[in-house]
Amino acid sequence: MSDEPAFDLNGCLERVRGGDQSAARELVEHLYPLVIRIVRARLPRRVPEEDLAQEIFMKMFTRMDQYHGAVPFPHWVSRIAVTTCIDHLRAQKRRPEFRWADLSENEANLLDAVLTNENSAAPDDTLAAHELVHKLLGQLKPEDRMVLQLLDLEQKTIAEVKELTGWNTSLVKVRAFRARRKLQKLFQELQRRERK
Amino acid sequence: MNHNNQAWQRLVTAARQVRDDRDTAAPLGFSSRVAALAMERRSEGVGALLERFSWRALAAAVLLAVGGAATNYAMAPDAASVDEPPMDENEVIVVFDIS
Repeated sequence: MSDEPAFDLNGCLERVRGGDQSAARELVEHLYPLVIRIVRARLPRRVPEEDLAQEIFMKMFTRMDQYHGAVPFPHWVSRIAVTTCIDHLRAQKRRPEFRWADLSENEANLLDAVLTNENSAAPDDTLAAHELVHKLLGQLKPEDRMVLQLLDLEQKTIAEVKELTGWNTSLVKVRAFRARRKLQKLFQELQRRERK
Repeated sequence: MNHNNQAWQRLVTAARQVRDDRDTAAPLGFSSRVAALAMERRSEGVGALLERFSWRALAAAVLLAVGGAATNYAMAPDAASVDEPPMDENEVIVVFDIS
């Protein structure tokens, strides 16, 4: 067991509200792992992760007066992080076209295998699968991408997605349904192109 | 459609196996920089608030001053309309009875 005392989040928040800079520093140190995991999982292209993390923390401090304790503070910060990532993804606008030629040999083989072999188990090349999944997600709208990433990749429940994004249950379900449909269209298109 | 969905599920199942082992601690100086920026903006915010209220107070003071001047101007007797006292009511004439 660690001898380090538990972090007093409520006390720290009080001190931050009182303008204590060292408390603000402690709060950033404490929440950085949470924020950076969210950022890394959804990092938009060409945005350095540290810049995005800084933007999230600045929003957290600016909006701190709006936090009334209805949800745990880390959940509240997670929502700021997720919505900031969506905003950045939205700002990218154009997504690069998905082409077989852009895939590495491993990724192309893997995609071919999962598209043609219905009975194959999960592919062994996990790194290639990880890259491929992110390339496929990159073809979707930011909100669609986010909902599939949270539900399928991170295996969050609808309630967790709802809490992280601020969307209601119906919206989460509808977005997931539409996103999966778009993904299926993308697969069909890839299969058609491959056959040509 | 179902086949494509299975393909997607197989891909994400494999992708989930990849663990991100990168360090999650804040880089050196990051927390201090962000905390300093946040506190600076906070004090700027208080200053800006005071400034805004000062301007509002000034505007209110100017309005009151103009309003007050206008009211008093309207109530002030018109210099031209003040009649000279008739000669027979001149106190010197009355006192010395020299009319």
